[in-house]
Amino acid sequence: MFKDLNPILHSQLRLAVMSLLISVKEAEFTFLREKTKSTAGNLSVQVQKLKDAGYIEVEKRFKDNYPQTLCRITAKGIQAFDDYVKALQGYLGK
Amino acid sequence: MEKKQMTEKESLAIITDMVNKVKSHYHENGSYLILWGSVITFCSLMSAAQAFWNFSIGFNIWLLTFLAVAPHIWLITKENKRKTVKTHAGSAIDVIWLVYIVTIIGIILYWNVTYHISPRILADNGIELLSRNISSGELKPFKLFAPSFTSIFLLAYGFPTLATGLITRYHPFITGAIIIYVCFAVSLFTEFKSDMLLSALSAVSGWLIPGWMLRKKYLHQLKQADV
Repeated sequence: MFKDLNPILHSQLRLAVMSLLISVKEAEFTFLREKTKSTAGNLSVQVQKLKDAGYIEVEKRFKDNYPQTLCRITAKGIQAFDDYVKALQGYLGK
Repeated sequence: MEKKQMTEKESLAIITDMVNKVKSHYHENGSYLILWGSVITFCSLMSAAQAFWNFSIGFNIWLLTFLAVAPHIWLITKENKRKTVKTHAGSAIDVIWLVYIVTIIGIILYWNVTYHISPRILADNGIELLSRNISSGELKPFKLFAPSFTSIFLLAYGFPTLATGLITRYHPFITGAIIIYVCFAVSLFTEFKSDMLLSALSAVSGWLIPGWMLRKKYLHQLKQADV
């Protein structure tokens, strides 16, 4: 019996964001946008969904008078990503 | 990225792609290494030259290291503006270099303070150290000093270099650190003039060369990003 894939993570952009954040300590919104090649609007919506799920933390501050949005993966997010990868391995191994 | 139903293979491809993008993202441009590698090499060579040819430039050349702090702060500010991501390895390396700076300040303090305090402590215990000239038999007050002091600095230089090399798995750092440790071992048996040459060799191999290599790699990545 295979586990269902987490619907929050089983989306292209959200999975891409989580895959980037799992590898770093923290990343700016601009970094995520550059690497995922997404639009600011779409990325913003997906980041908010991940934040609502408790998978990431979003910190807004100012850097040289410009607004800066920092994103960090949470312990819950790491666990969810780990479970997702394990479930994925189960599917791919069948 | 489009919104569509993904297959398991596509999910795995996204994860791999993003992890690789983080790995290939440029972090270090080698600027601090070039700065400190140049300063330490110059100060070491100048000290060696003064000792070899018996002349003085009128001030302690190592004071230049304090002047180098200003461009270092400017580089940090510039670097922080450029960085859009902080990695776990990058944070660990920052901590290592911070501890290294504290260690170097501690060594300098130890050297200066103990040199002046030791005679007083000995005097409080009713002891005075004297040195005797073998040929004339003349006795003079003797101040305790740390022998082969450069060796302690070389040992300290090796620590952040090797740690950074092992964390980043960047071979020029590991090779540089090995050369520094060899210089440290050699310096235990040599006098000040040679110690200064070993110090210059350590700064070139441990910091300047890896710094230039990182800079070259960084500029290459920037060029590719522009294409």
